[in-house]
Amino acid sequence: MLEITSTPLVIMAILGTVGVLIPIISIARKEQGSNSFYAVIAFAALIVSIGYVGYQFINDNVAASALFSEDVLVDDAFGGFFAIAMLIVALFTTVGSFNYMRKHNSPAVYYSLILLATIGMVLVAYSTDLVMLFVAWELMSLPTYILVGFIKKNPSSNEAALKYFLFGALSSAIIVYGISIAYGLTGSTNIGEVIQGYSTLDPSFLPLALLSVGMFIAGFGFKMGLVPFHQWLPDTYEGAPPPIAALLAAGTKKVGFAAAIRIIVLGMVVLNLDWTLALGVLAVMTMTIGNIAAIMQKNLTRMLAYSSIAHAGYILIGLAVAPYSSLGLQGSLYHILNHAVMKGMAFIAIAGIVTTLAVTNLDKLQGLGRRMPITALALVISLFALAGVPPLAGFWSKLMLFGSALDAGSVVWWAPWLAIAGVLNSALSLAYYAWITRKMYFEGEREKRVKEPKSIIAIMIFSMIFLIGFGVYPEPVMQFVEFATPVLSLDLMP
Amino acid sequence: MATELLGFEIGATSAWLVWILPFAAALIIPGIAKLSKYSTGHLSKHATGYIAIGFALMSTLSAASLIPIALEAGEIHHQIPWIESLGLKAGILADPLSIIMSNVVGWISFLILIYSTGYMKGDKDITRFWFWMMFFIGSMQLIVMSDNLLQLFFGWEGVGLASYALISFWYRDKKKDHVGTEGRTVLGMLDYYSPTHAGMKAFIMTKVGDVMMIAGMLLIFVYAGTFGLKELVGDTEWAVTMASQGLLVPAFVLLFGGAVGKSAQFPLNEWLLEAMTGPTSVSALIHAATMVKAGVFLVARLGPLVFALGAAGILANQFFEIIAWIGAITAILLATQAMVNPEIKKVLAYSTGSQIGYMMMALGVAGLSYQYVDGYTAGFFHLISHAMFKASLFMAAGAILHTVGSRFMTDMGGLRKKMKKTYAFMWAAGLGLMGAPFITTGFWSKDAIFAAVYESGNEWAMPLFAIAVFTAAITSFYTVRMMGLVFFGKTSKHIEKMEEEGHHIHEAPLSMWIPYGILAVLTIGVGLVGLSAEGGLHGLFVDFLENSYGIHTEHLIIESSILPEFLQGLNPVALGSSLAAFAIGAGLGYIFYIGRWVDPVKFVNSNIFFYAIHKFFLNRWYLNAIIYWCFVVAPLWLSRGVFRYFEKTAIDYGMNDGFQKAVGWSAKVVQGTQTGVAQSYLFVFGAGLLFVVLILLI
Repeated sequence: MLEITSTPLVIMAILGTVGVLIPIISIARKEQGSNSFYAVIAFAALIVSIGYVGYQFINDNVAASALFSEDVLVDDAFGGFFAIAMLIVALFTTVGSFNYMRKHNSPAVYYSLILLATIGMVLVAYSTDLVMLFVAWELMSLPTYILVGFIKKNPSSNEAALKYFLFGALSSAIIVYGISIAYGLTGSTNIGEVIQGYSTLDPSFLPLALLSVGMFIAGFGFKMGLVPFHQWLPDTYEGAPPPIAALLAAGTKKVGFAAAIRIIVLGMVVLNLDWTLALGVLAVMTMTIGNIAAIMQKNLTRMLAYSSIAHAGYILIGLAVAPYSSLGLQGSLYHILNHAVMKGMAFIAIAGIVTTLAVTNLDKLQGLGRRMPITALALVISLFALAGVPPLAGFWSKLMLFGSALDAGSVVWWAPWLAIAGVLNSALSLAYYAWITRKMYFEGEREKRVKEPKSIIAIMIFSMIFLIGFGVYPEPVMQFVEFATPVLSLDLMP
Repeated sequence: MATELLGFEIGATSAWLVWILPFAAALIIPGIAKLSKYSTGHLSKHATGYIAIGFALMSTLSAASLIPIALEAGEIHHQIPWIESLGLKAGILADPLSIIMSNVVGWISFLILIYSTGYMKGDKDITRFWFWMMFFIGSMQLIVMSDNLLQLFFGWEGVGLASYALISFWYRDKKKDHVGTEGRTVLGMLDYYSPTHAGMKAFIMTKVGDVMMIAGMLLIFVYAGTFGLKELVGDTEWAVTMASQGLLVPAFVLLFGGAVGKSAQFPLNEWLLEAMTGPTSVSALIHAATMVKAGVFLVARLGPLVFALGAAGILANQFFEIIAWIGAITAILLATQAMVNPEIKKVLAYSTGSQIGYMMMALGVAGLSYQYVDGYTAGFFHLISHAMFKASLFMAAGAILHTVGSRFMTDMGGLRKKMKKTYAFMWAAGLGLMGAPFITTGFWSKDAIFAAVYESGNEWAMPLFAIAVFTAAITSFYTVRMMGLVFFGKTSKHIEKMEEEGHHIHEAPLSMWIPYGILAVLTIGVGLVGLSAEGGLHGLFVDFLENSYGIHTEHLIIESSILPEFLQGLNPVALGSSLAAFAIGAGLGYIFYIGRWVDPVKFVNSNIFFYAIHKFFLNRWYLNAIIYWCFVVAPLWLSRGVFRYFEKTAIDYGMNDGFQKAVGWSAKVVQGTQTGVAQSYLFVFGAGLLFVVLILLI
């Protein structure tokens, strides 16, 4: 049994209470229009949650990463790692929305939905039961559908929400179907028991087991934005309010990976490892198509959306080589954390640009370096970190990912090709990152400086310190990642 | 013992300071600029410059304080913990190679910074200039002092970033800051580049090399488990494993790819010419001290390692063959283009690429010959002498540009009476580039390369030697051409017009001519004692290679030859070829451009053969245009295609207008979903699921 003080339960309690109470207070006070009061409450709730996760880690109350448990939830380092990453993203979104929501109605509902989605995001990472995982998955997804379409009068926001919803519904259906097959075959929904059931499965049922794993990959692949499940993504990010795009790109996308890592061991048993090549092929396709499409974009949000597709490809490298190299999953987790900060920061920077200048078109970003110097500098740093330029944090996680692929080369012939594809893609991505930089600094003439929103600047400064600080001295993060990574080796299987 | 320990500590600290100080300056410069805005008057204009020069001097003095260690062929290796999870340590390695290199970089940069105070006077973005200059120097010193490949790569990327920012420094893309002739096209590609375009080109092209380099680094790391240079030499188990899998040479060739990019060697040479859009002091820094020398340094760092492996029975001769040939091809490729280009800075840029080719050739040939140290010393000695005369030439050219206000040599002419000092110094440095016999450093270093190539005794020795000598003749020719066009002949119309408008064509200010004067004098001064300087360097490297890499050099007994007393020990064939090449090249140059007995334009047009060759060289062997077609136009076309047909057609054709409007009214939302767009998304989704299952089945 989980203790009442275990991290997932406490986070659920804190965020759930605040998330439910905010709209009630708002209704009780019969408010109309905007109010930043709720943002402050949501902010406080998130800070307390992060504090609690950190407190648990510092006091060594967190178990080492365990993939399986008797319960539906497990309070382990893997979940804690994702909880921290997701809470940081939620914080970014909340703070980044301060200025944006001044111009829009019903902030109480808005912040409440962010908190509820955050609970879902955190719980997915802690789940050890398929049904629990699905419930958490839906708890995460449903609020985000509404958040994407939050600007009711804006057609592109509505369109984005609709597309996102259609795809989300389909992928949820596919996941449920996968779960039902797994249950039918093994009589349990506990991940550990399902795996045991699969390992002793009658060979004639193997195709069904295989189908269930394929469905999990497709279902989670939708959230991860893997090619070919990615088409909704650029439209949705572009239409959504920019802070929500940050939540989607940096948050929910990563939850797909958390779920995949929890479940992926299923496939290992069933398919006798052949699934790794499938993931490898998906990884190369995802990063290549993401980067090539990004080059052609004229809109900053869309460009970053495609870039986040490409990054899902890099992260997938680690999953693909996970059984062959201990660095694989570590690299994935590390890049997930870094990408959460880098992409979150980039989208929040866009939120800042949109609220002050109301442009996202690349051509209109001319001279941004003079108009909004801090935001522009932060954006450039995040872009270079995304490209993996040393000494920024992104360099190390990419190094680890590509290193793991080379390391796995001694077991499987195709693994080094993943590293080659990754390195080439990183170089390719620099082309459009440098292009944005050029627009912001090297074009335009004598623009006047405008006032940058303070809340956005706070996020920018925090992230810059994170990216540069942990770029020059990555040791603490690497140790944290090592602690949080489950050991996924062939002899671990039940 | 205690003093030694103390000495070690002091030495290690100054080795760290060599690269930390420039970075520190870069960090505080923006703050100083802000502060000085509030203080009074003209202090604010100079404060940042003084800070930069002061820090550069301190960094260089730290480097100079290490010289005694280099002279004893000793070394300092100091490490601090960095990333323990991966077993990585940060560290500095001060051995003769890095100490001499850091001094070359430091002193040349210092002079260039002084020159910049004059050259960049009045530029309103001066803070940005100093920031990036110091960042540039710091990154280069980081490369030089690193004790492991990863840390070196950090500096490597820093150099790339700084070059991007500095080449594009005049980002407003004014006409006068472009390079190339306006409107000229080659194979449909415009041969006219704006500063921002040029910066981007340099960044991306060198990035190609960087990607190869990091791939090579990772490959070695996977087998060796370390990036450390000392560790790689210490235990060669990894090399045996890699060699048995046939990966050793590819890994090192990939690393060399990084050097090809940074040093602008064939086929990644084309960015170097457009890099001329940066301020001249930046060009001088790139060409003499920081960027292109980084590649040569990398090869000099790795070469002994590979050679030592060869001595241990793990042969990697292809590595050295590739280096030698890439160097030779670049040397002749770029020298031929320097003969015809009308822009003074571009001539110098081509010449840099070509001279770097010489250095690569020497370092490559070294690995193929019996005595590694001969080629090694020759290559490195040429690096030092090239740093001196090329920095001087660039700064002098900058002074001329500054005065004349045009980058074309046809707009100059007859300047020898108006800029007497510059004229004299440019001759001195130019003679160094030509390798004028017995009095210039360039002569001795080039002769050493010839001798090393000639004596290397492998199958490629003769063709490489022929290319080297031929290139030397071309070098003499284009140098004389440049001098002739700029300083001799009649005053150009451009200058006449300027003087009519009241501009006075005058000598450069003190802060500008002193730095290039010093270097020009050094070119001759060191040249006068060139043979003994080379001998000293040779002896130093013999000990260094013995101590650090275990490469043993045998002391050969020098047979007396037909040469006079003071030239004993030189190879007569190499010496003779060198003198002949100089005489022929300089003589032809004199006929056309100084004596002006034959009009070069008429001469070229007189004969279809000469005309075709001239055009071929002027169009850069068509390499640049081909690269643009293959790697810029074609991928963009492809990318557009992927986007249009893969992302757009099946998926959201016509969506931008129709779909958005339709969704605008919520009543029509349902109708909007039936436009086929969403279904097609879902269709692709379903197909994707099928695809995944299919791969799983395979």
